[in-house]
Amino acid sequence: MNAPTQIKTPANPRYVDRDTLFEVERFLIREARMLDEERFREWWQTQLTEDIHYVLPVREIRMRANKQPIGSNPGAFVFNDNYGMLDMRIRRLETGLVWMEDPQNYIRRFISNIDAAWADVDGEVDAWSNFIVYRNRRQRDETVVWGTKQCRLRKVDGQWKLAGRTILVDQRVVLDKNLYFFL
Amino acid sequence: MKDVSKLILEDGAVQDRRIYWDQDIYEQELEQIFARAWQFLAHEGQIPNAGDFLTTRMGEDNVIVARQPDGTIKAFINSCPHRGNVVCHADTGNAKAFTCAYHGWAFGLDGALATVPLEHDAYYDAIERPRYAMHPVAKVESYKGLVFGTFDARAPSLRDYLGDMAWYMDTFLDVPGGIELLGPPMKSILNCNWKVPVENFIADGYHVGWAHAAALKAIESPLSPLAGNQAYDVNTGLQVATRGGHGFGVIWDAAAAIHPEGGAFRDWLAKRTPIIRERLGEWRSRFYNGHWDASIFPNCSFLYGTNTWKLWLPMGPHNIEVWTWTLVEKDMPAELKQMMVATNMMTFGTAGMLETDDGENMEQCTGSNRGWVTRRGKLYSGMGQVREGRHPELPGIIGKGIVCETSNRGFYRRWAELMSGRSWEEVAREPRSAPNREVA
Ligand code: FES
Ligand SMILES: [Fe+2]
Repeated sequence: MNAPTQIKTPANPRYVDRDTLFEVERFLIREARMLDEERFREWWQTQLTEDIHYVLPVREIRMRANKQPIGSNPGAFVFNDNYGMLDMRIRRLETGLVWMEDPQNYIRRFISNIDAAWADVDGEVDAWSNFIVYRNRRQRDETVVWGTKQCRLRKVDGQWKLAGRTILVDQRVVLDKNLYFFL
Repeated sequence: MKDVSKLILEDGAVQDRRIYWDQDIYEQELEQIFARAWQFLAHEGQIPNAGDFLTTRMGEDNVIVARQPDGTIKAFINSCPHRGNVVCHADTGNAKAFTCAYHGWAFGLDGALATVPLEHDAYYDAIERPRYAMHPVAKVESYKGLVFGTFDARAPSLRDYLGDMAWYMDTFLDVPGGIELLGPPMKSILNCNWKVPVENFIADGYHVGWAHAAALKAIESPLSPLAGNQAYDVNTGLQVATRGGHGFGVIWDAAAAIHPEGGAFRDWLAKRTPIIRERLGEWRSRFYNGHWDASIFPNCSFLYGTNTWKLWLPMGPHNIEVWTWTLVEKDMPAELKQMMVATNMMTFGTAGMLETDDGENMEQCTGSNRGWVTRRGKLYSGMGQVREGRHPELPGIIGKGIVCETSNRGFYRRWAELMSGRSWEEVAREPRSAPNREVA
């Protein structure tokens, strides 16, 4: 159950051609806007494959010499979701009973450093990007989360879909009060 | 020392709002509570081998907890006795020594000063090494795998400190194989006073139907009828306040209730229940199948049944770090443990379906007291006070129903006792008996 806590460029990346990179960029940028606009159901229905694995592992601080987990430490996740669990999270938002989302929060996703290479599975692409997410609530409650993510994209019926995502937040102590938003 | 006698009134039912905001009260908490009380450090399984260590905090003091070559566990303050530098920056690891990055003083696993660079040429061999050990945590003791520490050498034993709460916690600690805390801990922040989440976990069955209405609907659990307080039956559970400020509430037969996929957990409980009944008796086999919301005084909380284990580490009067592990039985199959980790994070991690409902309330309950006039006011947790009392078979003060504030009052009575600066002996000499009324 150990999820990768690092994202690394493979040894011999087969970088995608310019047209594919352009499609990947558009996919990620449009997805970010879709989420900013709270079109969660549409995101779930149109952007994800049903075998998606959406992961945000908890990272632990260790000395460089101490790579191995110590003791009862199998790995923990902020997100370790499949298609059904993502659906459940969205259903919670759709109840209209999430008091802290009402009034609406302002949330803005910035995405950059996009790169992509062909994956080890035919027709699939690994895309890397960095992100900043700014969130503002109530009067002056604001937080910023930084990180990076690796996305596995697959073309289904001529359209790119998200089949996997590993997100790394660059904070040992998450400096937002929660991470209940999609990255 | 500040006179705190007016801050908690009516036998624990009324709190002065200043206790959630004022810096001087917070400083007194660091002195009278966090420098004296036993605090959770680790589970033994987190540092199984000689040299394994982890870093944590007691109050705002940074602490290293390390397994010694002889198998015992020691703890000491993570600050170099030379010029004060933090010595260990890792969450966890295995070490032979802790070496300070500033001038290179090195300390053994027991915190003793081992080597000093230029000891001969610059100190002329005159340094008295024993004087410069890292400041020890006065007492470190385990209770069934749970390791606690106190800075107060005069504190009662850990077993006495836990008191009747230990009798209740045996329900899940005393199972064959014991328990484990799975990590690494998730860490996040809340801008709230540390007591607010402790209250929430120790006693607040009241908020579940309302604050978590959205999550209860989305998860479709046996508890979903609680959503929006559509249904509530006072016989669904009870609350317990034990001497020492610990306490919990239990919902009968709800151990696996908020797990989105609870089937394997229910099978496990069914299989183990006869063993628990045999070992610990009928009542605790019932608790074993219940869902608990609980706190160990001062700042450790857990939900048995949702399998979350929490530390609320104070970082000032209005700020805490939340550390979250998953509580499992060691003998559980690996797959079930994985499910426990996943569902704990899904419900009570920092992106949890329920945790995120709570965080905002905790912050706002604290932040409102910024107002000078607001701060002069009082808060009320008197729910169920007129009905709580003794139970023929269960220790502590018992309140009927899960929606009740019996354990909150117990927490604040202990808070007031320690904050007054009274010694452990004085506090122990004032035994509190339950109101002379039987609550079944
Ligand atoms: S501060 Fe640690 S060696 Fe000087
Ligand atoms: Fe809650």
